Amino acid sequence: MPLLIGSYAPDLMSKWFVYGIHIGGWDLKASDPVQFHRGWPGVGFTHSLLYGAVLALLIWRILGSKTWAVSFLIGQWAHAITDTGDTVGTMLFFPWTIHIHFGAWAYAGQTGRMTDAAAYFSGPGAVWDLVWIVYGLFCWRVLTRSYFETHVYTADAFWGRANRLVPMAALLVAYRAAFFYGTSRWIAWSLWAHVVHHYPYDISWGGPHWVSAAHSPSLTWPQLAGVGAIVGTGVAIFFVSRLEFGRRSWAAIRSRT
Amino acid sequence: MPSKRQLAVAGGYVVAAAVYIAVGVWDTDFLFSFFVGLAYLLVVAWLVPAAVRRIF
Repeated sequence: MPLLIGSYAPDLMSKWFVYGIHIGGWDLKASDPVQFHRGWPGVGFTHSLLYGAVLALLIWRILGSKTWAVSFLIGQWAHAITDTGDTVGTMLFFPWTIHIHFGAWAYAGQTGRMTDAAAYFSGPGAVWDLVWIVYGLFCWRVLTRSYFETHVYTADAFWGRANRLVPMAALLVAYRAAFFYGTSRWIAWSLWAHVVHHYPYDISWGGPHWVSAAHSPSLTWPQLAGVGAIVGTGVAIFFVSRLEFGRRSWAAIRSRT
Repeated sequence: MPSKRQLAVAGGYVVAAAVYIAVGVWDTDFLFSFFVGLAYLLVVAWLVPAAVRRIF
């Protein structure tokens, strides 16, 4: 559950303002949707690693659950890193405001939600989603009742508390809902875009090219070096801490025996 | 391989997905929110079967 919330966290409060809504006689929409969604000034910091880490620490502190904090962090980081795949990318290392972007699929949020959906489900982004759907189907056992009861229910106290209010059958359905929703909407949007409206597929790099995509400028060599240094430092810290943890664990085992 | 019971459960979800997809293609507002999908699934995969079991 916290992983799901984390994966929605970057866009939770902002996407409606990117696409715009009509309430009564009012049209509410960001004047520069791309800048608002992914930039600074704007709410682009919601797609950064730091934002996820800060919220995860708050969750750990307030709820006292390491499982919730780490799961939320994984979900939020997955979203922030995945969005580097489009042509705008994310300020992954905010407060450094450069956009990390691989340009694999077109960012078209500024065109409105229908064109954005049509473009996304016509390009490499749809293929990327399909990879995860197929991977999920290969891992079908994680959707079974026995897996839920044995591994998921016992790992997160949330389910036990929820079970005081609703029966296990309803919790199991709620647990399966994320995969159900992700898979069903992928099929539905694909049908809508290609059977009902005949938008052309273009799964070439940066596609679909029929949509007017927004782009971030390419990184300069010094910026690339900076990114390499940050990633390298992160990887080094990870491995050193694991080595150190391993040494301490062995020392603790030896001292016991 | 999944058991017959697991396949039957999966079949139920496939039917639920088919209806969700059909409604979603007809009215795309149905597709935008995870919470709409969650509510739909709770109704068709838990509430309705539970009600049917209670009646019969």
